[in-house]
Amino acid sequence: MQNRNKLVDLFIGNITNYIVHKILEMAIDNLEIINKYKKESKVSFEIAKIYRDKINPSTKLPDSIDVKKRIIQRVKIKLNERIKEGYKRINLDLVETITSETLEKLRV
Amino acid sequence: MMHILKLYQIITHKIYCTLCKPLNTSYALLRNMEIISKVSKGTNMDQIYIPKNRYGFNIGDFVVIKPITNQEKITLFYNNVKQLEPVKVHIIESVFELIQKKIPSENIIITGSFLEKGYSFKDLDIIIISDKKIDLNKEIEKYTGIKTQIITMNNLDFIKGLETDPLYENMLSKCVSLKRIIYNIKRKIDYKVLDFHLLKSELLIINYKTLKGDEKYYLIRNLIAIHLFIKNKKISKDSIEKEIKKVFDIGVEEIFLDNLNKDFLNKYKKLYKTTFKEVMEYAKQE
Repeated sequence: MQNRNKLVDLFIGNITNYIVHKILEMAIDNLEIINKYKKESKVSFEIAKIYRDKINPSTKLPDSIDVKKRIIQRVKIKLNERIKEGYKRINLDLVETITSETLEKLRV
Repeated sequence: MMHILKLYQIITHKIYCTLCKPLNTSYALLRNMEIISKVSKGTNMDQIYIPKNRYGFNIGDFVVIKPITNQEKITLFYNNVKQLEPVKVHIIESVFELIQKKIPSENIIITGSFLEKGYSFKDLDIIIISDKKIDLNKEIEKYTGIKTQIITMNNLDFIKGLETDPLYENMLSKCVSLKRIIYNIKRKIDYKVLDFHLLKSELLIINYKTLKGDEKYYLIRNLIAIHLFIKNKKISKDSIEKEIKKVFDIGVEEIFLDNLNKDFLNKYKKLYKTTFKEVMEYAKQE
Protein backbone atom coordinates (compact mmCIF):
# COMPACT_ATOMS: atom_id res chain seq x y z
CA MET A 1 0.00 0.00 0.00
CA GLN A 2 2.86 2.33 0.89
CA ASN A 3 4.49 1.51 -2.39
CA ARG A 4 1.32 2.46 -4.23
CA ASN A 5 1.17 5.78 -2.37
CA LYS A 6 4.76 6.53 -3.37
CA LEU A 7 4.02 5.74 -7.00
CA VAL A 8 0.91 7.96 -6.90
CA ASP A 9 3.02 10.80 -5.43
CA LEU A 10 5.62 10.44 -8.18
CA PHE A 11 2.86 10.30 -10.79
CA ILE A 12 1.29 13.49 -9.40
CA GLY A 13 4.65 15.30 -9.28
CA ASN A 14 5.47 14.55 -12.90
CA ILE A 15 2.02 15.18 -14.32
CA THR A 16 1.85 18.50 -12.42
CA ASN A 17 5.14 19.51 -14.06
CA TYR A 18 3.71 18.58 -17.47
CA ILE A 19 0.46 20.54 -16.98
CA VAL A 20 2.34 23.63 -15.74
CA HIS A 21 4.55 23.37 -18.84
CA LYS A 22 1.44 23.18 -21.05
CA ILE A 23 -0.13 26.28 -19.50
CA LEU A 24 3.12 28.28 -19.62
CA GLU A 25 3.50 27.31 -23.28
CA MET A 26 0.25 29.16 -23.96
CA ALA A 27 1.46 32.23 -22.07
CA ILE A 28 4.61 32.61 -24.15
CA ASP A 29 4.46 35.17 -26.93
CA ASN A 30 7.24 33.69 -29.03
CA LEU A 31 5.79 30.32 -29.96
CA GLU A 32 8.49 29.77 -32.59
CA ILE A 33 11.06 29.22 -29.84
CA ILE A 34 8.76 27.12 -27.72
CA ASN A 35 7.84 24.86 -30.63
CA LYS A 36 11.46 23.77 -30.82
CA TYR A 37 11.32 22.41 -27.31
CA LYS A 38 7.79 21.02 -27.18
CA LYS A 39 9.19 17.50 -27.32
CA GLU A 40 11.37 18.13 -24.30
CA SER A 41 8.46 19.33 -22.19
CA LYS A 42 6.84 15.98 -22.85
CA VAL A 43 9.57 14.28 -20.82
CA SER A 44 7.53 14.72 -17.64
CA PHE A 45 4.48 13.24 -19.37
CA GLU A 46 6.46 10.19 -20.44
CA ILE A 47 7.79 9.67 -16.90
CA ALA A 48 4.27 10.07 -15.47
CA LYS A 49 3.07 7.47 -17.97
CA ILE A 50 5.66 4.99 -16.70
CA TYR A 51 4.48 5.50 -13.11
CA ARG A 52 0.83 5.24 -14.15
CA ASP A 53 1.51 1.83 -15.72
CA LYS A 54 2.88 0.65 -12.38
CA ILE A 55 -0.21 1.77 -10.42
CA ASN A 56 -3.09 -0.66 -10.01
CA PRO A 57 -5.67 -0.96 -11.36
CA SER A 58 -4.77 -0.35 -15.00
CA THR A 59 -8.37 0.74 -15.60
CA LYS A 60 -9.78 3.92 -14.02
CA LEU A 61 -8.33 4.52 -10.54
CA PRO A 62 -10.76 4.25 -7.58
CA ASP A 63 -9.15 7.38 -6.06
CA SER A 64 -9.16 9.32 -9.34
CA ILE A 65 -11.19 12.24 -7.89
CA ASP A 66 -8.65 12.68 -5.09
CA VAL A 67 -5.69 12.40 -7.49
CA LYS A 68 -7.22 14.99 -9.81
CA LYS A 69 -7.91 17.33 -6.89
CA ARG A 70 -4.32 17.09 -5.68
CA ILE A 71 -2.94 17.76 -9.17
CA ILE A 72 -5.16 20.81 -9.73
CA GLN A 73 -4.18 22.16 -6.31
CA ARG A 74 -0.45 21.77 -7.01
CA VAL A 75 -0.68 23.24 -10.52
CA LYS A 76 -2.55 26.27 -9.19
CA ILE A 77 0.05 26.81 -6.43
CA LYS A 78 2.84 26.80 -9.00
CA LEU A 79 1.02 29.12 -11.38
CA ASN A 80 -0.08 31.52 -8.64
CA GLU A 81 3.52 31.71 -7.44
CA ARG A 82 4.37 33.08 -10.88
CA ILE A 83 1.37 35.39 -11.19
CA LYS A 84 2.31 36.90 -7.80
CA GLU A 85 5.77 37.71 -9.19
CA GLY A 86 4.28 39.54 -12.17
CA TYR A 87 4.14 36.77 -14.77
CA LYS A 88 1.64 37.84 -17.44
CA ARG A 89 -0.95 35.99 -19.53
CA ILE A 90 -1.25 32.87 -17.38
CA ASN A 91 -4.76 31.52 -17.84
CA LEU A 92 -5.86 29.72 -14.68
CA ASP A 93 -9.16 28.78 -16.31
CA LEU A 94 -7.29 26.22 -18.40
CA VAL A 95 -6.09 24.19 -15.41
CA GLU A 96 -9.18 22.00 -14.96
CA THR A 97 -9.71 21.30 -18.66
CA ILE A 98 -6.07 20.42 -19.34
CA THR A 99 -5.90 18.27 -16.19
CA SER A 100 -9.06 16.35 -17.15
CA GLU A 101 -7.84 15.80 -20.72
CA THR A 102 -4.41 14.64 -19.55
CA LEU A 103 -5.78 12.28 -16.91
CA GLU A 104 -8.20 10.79 -19.38
CA LYS A 105 -5.29 9.95 -21.68
CA LEU A 106 -3.66 8.12 -18.78
CA ARG A 107 -6.80 6.27 -17.63
CA VAL A 108 -6.90 7.98 -14.24
CA MET B 1 48.89 19.97 -83.04
CA MET B 2 46.69 17.68 -85.12
CA HIS B 3 45.40 16.06 -81.97
CA ILE B 4 44.34 19.36 -80.50
CA LEU B 5 42.51 20.33 -83.68
CA LYS B 6 40.65 17.07 -83.62
CA LEU B 7 39.73 17.64 -80.02
CA TYR B 8 38.08 20.95 -80.99
CA GLN B 9 36.15 19.02 -83.58
CA ILE B 10 34.74 16.84 -80.83
CA ILE B 11 33.59 19.85 -78.84
CA THR B 12 31.71 21.15 -81.87
CA HIS B 13 29.76 17.90 -81.78
CA LYS B 14 28.35 19.17 -78.45
CA ILE B 15 30.45 16.75 -76.42
CA TYR B 16 32.49 18.44 -73.72
CA CYS B 17 35.87 17.08 -72.94
CA THR B 18 37.60 17.66 -69.64
CA LEU B 19 41.32 17.18 -69.37
CA CYS B 20 43.00 16.48 -66.10
CA LYS B 21 46.52 17.36 -67.27
CA PRO B 22 47.76 20.31 -69.31
CA LEU B 23 47.64 20.01 -73.09
CA ASN B 24 51.37 19.70 -73.47
CA THR B 25 51.61 16.20 -74.92
CA SER B 26 49.29 14.14 -77.06
CA TYR B 27 49.95 11.17 -74.78
CA ALA B 28 48.50 12.95 -71.77
CA LEU B 29 45.57 14.05 -73.87
CA LEU B 30 44.64 10.49 -74.85
CA ARG B 31 45.28 8.92 -71.51
CA ASN B 32 43.16 11.32 -69.48
CA MET B 33 40.31 11.90 -71.84
CA GLU B 34 36.80 11.87 -70.42
CA ILE B 35 33.71 12.33 -72.49
CA ILE B 36 30.63 13.92 -71.04
CA SER B 37 27.49 12.73 -72.71
CA LYS B 38 23.81 12.33 -72.12
CA VAL B 39 21.92 9.10 -71.54
CA SER B 40 19.33 8.66 -74.30
CA LYS B 41 16.19 6.64 -74.18
CA GLY B 42 16.14 3.54 -76.36
CA THR B 43 13.50 0.97 -77.26
CA ASN B 44 14.88 -2.06 -75.48
CA MET B 45 17.86 -0.48 -73.73
CA ASP B 46 18.90 3.09 -73.02
CA GLN B 47 22.22 4.26 -74.49
CA ILE B 48 24.97 6.84 -74.42
CA TYR B 49 26.13 8.11 -77.85
CA ILE B 50 29.77 9.00 -78.39
CA PRO B 51 31.18 10.48 -81.61
CA LYS B 52 32.79 8.13 -84.10
CA ASN B 53 35.60 10.62 -84.57
CA ARG B 54 37.39 10.24 -81.23
CA TYR B 55 40.52 9.23 -79.41
CA GLY B 56 40.42 6.14 -77.25
CA PHE B 57 37.16 4.43 -76.34
CA ASN B 58 37.83 1.77 -79.00
CA ILE B 59 35.19 -0.75 -79.93
CA GLY B 60 35.35 -3.58 -77.40
CA ASP B 61 36.97 -1.44 -74.67
CA PHE B 62 35.45 -1.59 -71.24
CA VAL B 63 34.62 1.83 -69.81
CA VAL B 64 33.32 3.19 -66.54
CA ILE B 65 30.07 5.18 -66.61
CA LYS B 66 29.24 7.37 -63.65
CA PRO B 67 26.91 10.33 -63.11
CA ILE B 68 28.26 13.86 -62.87
CA THR B 69 27.32 15.89 -59.86
CA ASN B 70 27.53 19.64 -60.20
CA GLN B 71 28.07 20.07 -56.49
CA GLU B 72 31.26 21.60 -55.24
CA LYS B 73 33.16 19.82 -52.53
CA ILE B 74 31.82 20.82 -49.14
CA THR B 75 34.15 22.72 -46.81
CA LEU B 76 33.21 22.29 -43.19
CA PHE B 77 33.64 24.99 -40.56
CA TYR B 78 34.63 23.76 -37.13
CA ASN B 79 33.79 25.76 -34.02
CA ASN B 80 35.59 24.47 -30.91
CA VAL B 81 35.78 20.97 -32.39
CA LYS B 82 39.41 20.04 -32.01
CA GLN B 83 39.22 16.53 -33.37
CA LEU B 84 36.60 14.60 -35.28
CA GLU B 85 36.78 11.02 -36.47
CA PRO B 86 37.03 10.76 -40.32
CA VAL B 87 33.89 8.58 -40.40
CA LYS B 88 31.92 11.34 -38.67
CA VAL B 89 33.33 13.95 -41.08
CA HIS B 90 32.16 11.79 -43.97
CA ILE B 91 28.68 11.41 -42.40
CA ILE B 92 28.40 15.18 -41.89
CA GLU B 93 29.45 15.91 -45.48
CA SER B 94 26.95 13.39 -46.83
CA VAL B 95 24.15 14.74 -44.63
CA PHE B 96 24.91 18.32 -45.74
CA GLU B 97 24.83 17.22 -49.39
CA LEU B 98 21.50 15.46 -48.87
CA ILE B 99 19.96 18.46 -47.10
CA GLN B 100 21.23 20.89 -49.75
CA LYS B 101 19.52 18.83 -52.44
CA LYS B 102 16.21 18.84 -50.57
CA ILE B 103 15.94 22.31 -49.08
CA PRO B 104 17.53 25.69 -49.90
CA SER B 105 19.35 26.63 -46.72
CA GLU B 106 21.35 29.59 -45.46
CA ASN B 107 23.35 27.36 -43.16
CA ILE B 108 23.35 23.85 -41.72
CA ILE B 109 24.77 23.20 -38.27
CA ILE B 110 25.64 19.94 -36.53
CA THR B 111 25.85 20.09 -32.77
CA GLY B 112 25.48 17.95 -29.64
CA SER B 113 26.86 14.60 -28.59
CA PHE B 114 27.77 13.54 -32.16
CA LEU B 115 30.77 15.89 -31.95
CA GLU B 116 32.10 14.33 -28.74
CA LYS B 117 35.04 11.97 -28.95
CA GLY B 118 34.16 8.36 -29.70
CA TYR B 119 30.97 6.71 -30.78
CA SER B 120 28.78 6.86 -27.70
CA PHE B 121 26.69 9.71 -29.11
CA LYS B 122 22.92 9.72 -28.50
CA ASP B 123 21.75 11.19 -31.77
CA LEU B 124 22.56 13.56 -34.60
CA ASP B 125 21.42 17.12 -33.82
CA ILE B 126 20.97 19.27 -36.90
CA ILE B 127 19.93 22.92 -37.17
CA ILE B 128 18.83 24.00 -40.64
CA ILE B 129 18.61 27.75 -41.20
CA SER B 130 16.02 28.06 -43.93
CA ASP B 131 12.74 29.78 -44.75
CA LYS B 132 11.31 26.47 -45.92
CA LYS B 133 10.27 23.67 -43.62
CA ILE B 134 10.54 20.08 -44.79
CA ASP B 135 10.60 17.11 -42.44
CA LEU B 136 13.83 15.29 -43.25
CA ASN B 137 14.18 13.37 -39.97
CA LYS B 138 13.20 9.98 -41.34
CA GLU B 139 15.16 10.38 -44.56
CA ILE B 140 18.38 11.27 -42.73
CA GLU B 141 17.82 8.52 -40.16
CA LYS B 142 17.39 6.02 -42.97
CA TYR B 143 20.49 7.33 -44.75
CA THR B 144 22.81 7.43 -41.73
CA GLY B 145 21.25 4.85 -39.44
CA ILE B 146 21.51 7.41 -36.62
CA LYS B 147 18.58 8.82 -34.66
CA THR B 148 18.19 12.39 -35.90
CA GLN B 149 16.80 15.56 -34.33
CA ILE B 150 16.32 18.42 -36.77
CA ILE B 151 15.39 21.99 -35.91
CA THR B 152 14.49 24.07 -38.96
CA MET B 153 14.03 27.81 -38.59
CA ASN B 154 14.58 31.03 -40.46
CA ASN B 155 17.52 33.29 -39.73
CA LEU B 156 15.45 35.78 -37.73
CA ASP B 157 14.10 33.13 -35.34
CA PHE B 158 17.57 31.68 -35.03
CA ILE B 159 18.97 35.06 -33.95
CA LYS B 160 16.02 35.54 -31.55
CA GLY B 161 16.75 32.12 -30.09
CA LEU B 162 20.42 32.99 -29.63
CA GLU B 163 19.52 36.22 -27.88
CA THR B 164 17.04 34.72 -25.43
CA ASP B 165 17.75 31.03 -25.06
CA PRO B 166 20.78 29.69 -23.15
CA LEU B 167 20.44 26.32 -24.85
CA TYR B 168 21.02 27.84 -28.29
CA GLU B 169 24.21 29.42 -27.06
CA ASN B 170 25.30 26.14 -25.58
CA MET B 171 24.55 24.33 -28.84
CA LEU B 172 26.64 26.74 -30.89
CA SER B 173 29.57 26.73 -28.48
CA LYS B 174 30.67 23.51 -30.17
CA CYS B 175 29.48 22.84 -33.69
CA VAL B 176 30.32 22.04 -37.29
CA SER B 177 28.64 24.15 -39.95
CA LEU B 178 28.34 24.48 -43.68
CA LYS B 179 29.09 28.19 -43.57
CA ARG B 180 31.05 30.24 -41.09
CA ILE B 181 28.93 31.37 -38.16
CA ILE B 182 29.38 35.05 -37.37
CA TYR B 183 26.83 36.51 -35.00
CA ASN B 184 27.21 39.49 -32.75
CA ILE B 185 24.52 38.63 -30.25
CA LYS B 186 23.47 40.70 -27.28
CA ARG B 187 21.61 38.65 -24.67
CA LYS B 188 18.02 39.55 -23.86
CA ILE B 189 16.30 38.13 -20.81
CA ASP B 190 12.90 36.71 -21.70
CA TYR B 191 11.63 35.47 -18.34
CA LYS B 192 8.98 33.30 -19.93
CA VAL B 193 11.46 31.37 -22.05
CA LEU B 194 13.88 30.97 -19.13
CA ASP B 195 11.12 29.88 -16.74
CA PHE B 196 9.85 27.35 -19.27
CA HIS B 197 13.30 25.78 -19.54
CA LEU B 198 13.93 25.97 -15.82
CA LEU B 199 10.76 24.03 -15.05
CA LYS B 200 12.30 21.05 -16.86
CA SER B 201 15.06 20.88 -14.24
CA GLU B 202 12.45 20.45 -11.50
CA LEU B 203 12.18 16.84 -12.69
CA LEU B 204 15.44 16.05 -10.90
CA ILE B 205 13.91 17.06 -7.58
CA ILE B 206 10.72 15.07 -8.24
CA ASN B 207 12.48 11.93 -9.55
CA TYR B 208 15.80 12.10 -7.70
CA LYS B 209 15.74 8.46 -6.61
CA THR B 210 14.70 6.99 -9.93
CA LEU B 211 16.62 8.97 -12.56
CA LYS B 212 19.83 7.57 -14.03
CA GLY B 213 23.13 9.45 -13.94
CA ASP B 214 23.00 10.67 -17.55
CA GLU B 215 19.40 11.86 -17.11
CA LYS B 216 20.45 13.79 -14.02
CA TYR B 217 23.39 15.34 -15.87
CA TYR B 218 21.07 16.65 -18.58
CA LEU B 219 18.82 18.37 -16.01
CA ILE B 220 21.77 19.77 -14.03
CA ARG B 221 23.31 21.12 -17.25
CA ASN B 222 20.01 22.81 -18.09
CA LEU B 223 19.82 24.52 -14.69
CA ILE B 224 23.46 25.64 -14.81
CA ALA B 225 23.07 27.02 -18.36
CA ILE B 226 20.15 29.21 -17.21
CA HIS B 227 22.12 30.25 -14.11
CA LEU B 228 25.10 31.30 -16.29
CA PHE B 229 22.84 33.08 -18.78
CA ILE B 230 21.31 35.27 -16.07
CA LYS B 231 24.76 36.03 -14.67
CA ASN B 232 25.80 37.03 -18.21
CA LYS B 233 28.58 34.46 -18.21
CA LYS B 234 29.82 32.42 -21.16
CA ILE B 235 27.86 29.25 -21.91
CA SER B 236 29.72 26.26 -23.29
CA LYS B 237 30.21 22.64 -22.33
CA ASP B 238 33.42 23.54 -20.50
CA SER B 239 31.99 26.56 -18.66
CA ILE B 240 28.94 24.52 -17.59
CA GLU B 241 31.09 21.70 -16.28
CA LYS B 242 33.35 24.14 -14.41
CA GLU B 243 30.29 25.72 -12.79
CA ILE B 244 28.91 22.30 -11.82
CA LYS B 245 32.21 21.58 -10.08
CA LYS B 246 32.12 24.98 -8.38
CA VAL B 247 28.50 24.82 -7.20
CA PHE B 248 28.12 21.13 -6.32
CA ASP B 249 31.75 20.19 -5.74
CA ILE B 250 31.31 17.20 -8.02
CA GLY B 251 32.79 16.06 -11.35
CA VAL B 252 30.77 15.20 -14.44
CA GLU B 253 31.96 11.58 -14.35
CA GLU B 254 30.50 11.17 -10.90
CA ILE B 255 27.15 12.52 -12.07
CA PHE B 256 27.10 10.04 -14.95
CA LEU B 257 27.89 7.25 -12.52
CA ASP B 258 25.11 8.57 -10.26
CA ASN B 259 27.66 8.84 -7.50
CA LEU B 260 26.30 12.03 -5.93
CA ASN B 261 27.25 13.24 -2.47
CA LYS B 262 24.76 13.67 0.38
CA ASP B 263 24.54 17.45 0.07
CA PHE B 264 23.89 17.39 -3.63
CA LEU B 265 20.08 17.45 -3.60
CA ASN B 266 19.94 20.27 -1.06
CA LYS B 267 22.40 22.36 -3.05
CA TYR B 268 20.43 21.64 -6.21
CA LYS B 269 17.11 22.65 -4.62
CA LYS B 270 18.71 25.84 -3.35
CA LEU B 271 20.13 26.77 -6.76
CA TYR B 272 16.82 25.92 -8.44
CA LYS B 273 14.94 28.19 -6.06
CA THR B 274 17.46 31.06 -6.36
CA THR B 275 17.47 30.83 -10.16
CA PHE B 276 13.66 30.82 -10.22
CA LYS B 277 13.59 33.96 -8.08
CA GLU B 278 16.18 35.63 -10.33
CA VAL B 279 14.12 34.80 -13.42
CA MET B 280 10.96 36.14 -11.78
CA GLU B 281 12.75 39.43 -11.00
CA TYR B 282 12.52 40.10 -14.74
CA ALA B 283 8.75 39.42 -14.66
CA LYS B 284 8.41 42.15 -12.03
CA GLN B 285 10.38 44.59 -14.20
CA GLU B 286 8.16 44.09 -17.24
